[in-house]
Amino acid sequence: MNRRVLIAIAVLALAGALAFAARPHQTTADERVDQITAELRCPVCQGLSVKDSTSETARQMRDLVAQRVREGKTDAEIEAEFRDAYGEWIFLAPPVASWTGLVWLAPVAALAAGLAIVVGRLRSTGVPQRAEPSSTEIAALRERVAREEAAEG
Amino acid sequence: MLARVARIVVVVAILGLVVTLALAFRRDPHDIRTGTVNKPAPAFTLQRLDGSGDLSLADLSGKVVVVNFFASWCVPCIQENPALVRVYERYRGSDVVILGVNFQETHENAIGYVQRMGITWPTVADDDGRVALSYGVFSPPETYFIGPDGIIAGRHIGPIDEETLVTAIEKLRGQASSR
Repeated sequence: MNRRVLIAIAVLALAGALAFAARPHQTTADERVDQITAELRCPVCQGLSVKDSTSETARQMRDLVAQRVREGKTDAEIEAEFRDAYGEWIFLAPPVASWTGLVWLAPVAALAAGLAIVVGRLRSTGVPQRAEPSSTEIAALRERVAREEAAEG
Repeated sequence: MLARVARIVVVVAILGLVVTLALAFRRDPHDIRTGTVNKPAPAFTLQRLDGSGDLSLADLSGKVVVVNFFASWCVPCIQENPALVRVYERYRGSDVVILGVNFQETHENAIGYVQRMGITWPTVADDDGRVALSYGVFSPPETYFIGPDGIIAGRHIGPIDEETLVTAIEKLRGQASSR
């Protein structure tokens, strides 16, 4: 009984903690800056986001994003400002909606094409069937077994 | 049937990739036409490096403006400077203005560089980098050609030579005079 009560309390406590952690909360200004700069490409780095880069240019970009957040600009407005200056290149992930969405679509299409080729090939050739031995082969095998037994015996 | 369609899709995809790469490799890496090209030049007012007050891009309206982003720590900037000096002398007193925008360094270093390299055209300090960011600058040297109408007509990434400068300037002057 005591054990069941303890387990129930533990489950309830875990559920409560998860619910508390997942509760909806107002995003802070710092969190918004982090979210936006994580999506922006550092212009002087190799594949690094503005958030992760320690370069001077990235620092200036973070300062600009922080200022725009303080000014009450929306994420879309801030992103548009960088898009106007640098084009879509400035975003680490290409947008799905434009022609660059092909970047996302191409691997899926390639996988589907590969699967189709494999399926098509299997269907055309068929799965190889295991053939039953003929009566002549069975007779030859029996004769061989008898010979070996005689040799041992 | 399915395999045949898939094979056609693969061939078309490979051809598409080849065409895309062929077109991409034909582009001049010094002339990336994204972002601010063919759009109005972002306005700015910056402090002059020589301490003689502010300079506003709006004050240069109606002129051909060559905006050159530079820094003393930038080796290609040193390489391109003689071409800028010659072009500045060629158009001195005309409707062409060369404007140097200093990029990510201290005033002391910038002033020392300007004096050392014989730069006599106007130079300004972009201390917080906001102007460079608004123009979409990656790293110096970068040169922007702004027409008398205030539109950015072209951009050159990396060290620029005299011929490229003169060609771009004359093209803009020709457009202005034909209007």
